[in-house]
Amino acid sequence: MLFLAIKNLVQEKTRLLISVGGVAFSVLLIMSIQGLYQGWSNKIGEYIRTVPADYWITQTGATDMFHTPSVLPLTVRDFLNGVEGVASAKPFSGRRVAFAHNGKDINLYVIADDVENNVGAPARVVEGKAVPGEGEIIIDRVVARSENIRIGDTIPIAGRTLKVAGYSEGGYILSFSFAFATKEDAESILQLPGATNFFLVTVEDGAAAGDVASRIEADPAVDAITKDRFVENNTNIVRDTFLPIILVLLLIGIAVGMTVIGLTIFTSTIEKAREYGVLKAIGVSNRQLYTVVVEQAVTAAVLGYALGAALALAINAVAGNYVPEFITEIRWLDAAWIFAVTMVMAVVSSLLPVRRLARIDPAEVFRA
Amino acid sequence: MSVVSVQDVSKTFSSGHTAVTAVDHVSLEVEAGDIVLVMGPSGSGKTTLLSMIGTLMSPTTGRILISGQDTSTLAPAQLSRLRLREFGFVFQTFNLLSALTAEENVMVPLLTAGMHRKPARAKARAALEQLKLGHRLRNLPRDLSGGEKQRVAIARSLANDPRLILADEPTANLDARTGQDVTLLLCETACRENRAVIIVSHDQRLRTAAKRVITIEDGRLTTEEDGEHNQNCRMHARAGSS
Repeated sequence: MLFLAIKNLVQEKTRLLISVGGVAFSVLLIMSIQGLYQGWSNKIGEYIRTVPADYWITQTGATDMFHTPSVLPLTVRDFLNGVEGVASAKPFSGRRVAFAHNGKDINLYVIADDVENNVGAPARVVEGKAVPGEGEIIIDRVVARSENIRIGDTIPIAGRTLKVAGYSEGGYILSFSFAFATKEDAESILQLPGATNFFLVTVEDGAAAGDVASRIEADPAVDAITKDRFVENNTNIVRDTFLPIILVLLLIGIAVGMTVIGLTIFTSTIEKAREYGVLKAIGVSNRQLYTVVVEQAVTAAVLGYALGAALALAINAVAGNYVPEFITEIRWLDAAWIFAVTMVMAVVSSLLPVRRLARIDPAEVFRA
Repeated sequence: MSVVSVQDVSKTFSSGHTAVTAVDHVSLEVEAGDIVLVMGPSGSGKTTLLSMIGTLMSPTTGRILISGQDTSTLAPAQLSRLRLREFGFVFQTFNLLSALTAEENVMVPLLTAGMHRKPARAKARAALEQLKLGHRLRNLPRDLSGGEKQRVAIARSLANDPRLILADEPTANLDARTGQDVTLLLCETACRENRAVIIVSHDQRLRTAAKRVITIEDGRLTTEEDGEHNQNCRMHARAGSS
């Protein structure tokens, strides 16, 4: 009797608003947090995905760009070029550095833009110069906007002063962002004479990539990590850092939603106890009555989900303009599991009213 | 076979060390077409007896048969189905569902019994039109007068073509004229369709609608007399004139 469930819900508009609002708040919270998680995960991998390589060659034990430092002598390149099946091996250098700006520490990961080897260029330059000149740096637009750094401004980095020559996109990673300087400027910042951080290896057409990697790893000083694996290792930083926080917020969202639905449907059930008693008296089974209560909760949850999802999409679309760090991506898959969680939330929150319903004595209806 | 057979039924309510016998060894047979008015002072056990016949309460001793079926042998779900199929209830306070229109209130037992929405709506509409409520189909209970609410309740009680209608003080919340009209309407409808009706009431005027008048005092049936139904029911008047 879905129509009875809907009529009961609509009859009490204030309570309906509270139910729907509570669920919408939960969905908004869960969807935004999930969107941020996904957005940040994508961002961290976005630049690395654009780097042309089949394998990232790291110092043994280094699995990503940020946790364990990887320092390899430039002579490794000769070894790599000699490995059967390797088409090219190019050095890739970068270092995380901080500088003070307007009393705030700003972290950059400065990458050597090696024009000669065509390695280390920004993924996308959206304003200014596409290739930094001597004494110049290209920074991410998110940092430029949030810290109000304009093209032409100078920033002090590791004892050097570099002029901002352009803005790139796709290199903002939470607490730091990628920046790009000439190979020479980068080397003076990195202070790694005769060394680099990684080598980017491409495999010859027709060569078995796995075999090539095995031959590279015959050198115990290096690891060969596939591009996909290297992207994943880096995006795991976001997962490891934020997943526990996301889980806590998810639980809070679910608790809020369940409490609001549970309480509103429970009070509605108490208020309508006599009417439910009448229904029992005229022959409506307990199971049919439970269905009415669950349908009420599910209807409120569906409305709340629709409102919450719409708000999340609207806020996520607009918020990035005001808070550049608010990078989100809401996928259909996430929308689907959040919907499933919302439905589970509704059904579980119906249990309390259903227990109350079971205790209603239909003989009470004969009392005036 | 009787529609209702109450066989030496008692009901005792216990609270701590106190036990109160509300119904004391009552036996009663109600046949199809019977219109039985059960009268008695407050606390005499009328409503308890009605609740037991309606399977909303089980007797402490004795048994109640509905259309030959011993209700004490039925599980709660079977009792629900029995009430849905065999009984129509009319309550003192009407007990319409406040969120539903008159038409939807009458549809509830039909939908519960598994009827599809469209025929249920058509049947509810026809029942309400027969009770002169065709113009009130879409009204919520709050917009209906007491008499109209009780007529909707009667339409609801008749929706599933029950063999037995149980009415608890159906005129208590109505003015004298409306109360009498509504009860006569209920009894005429039951009479026309050969349904059994048991009415519990204080209202002496309902004797005019009943075929049998039973008095209950201190839980016991004390007297039984003939009612005045046949003199007042238009169904009988028509039968007499034809």
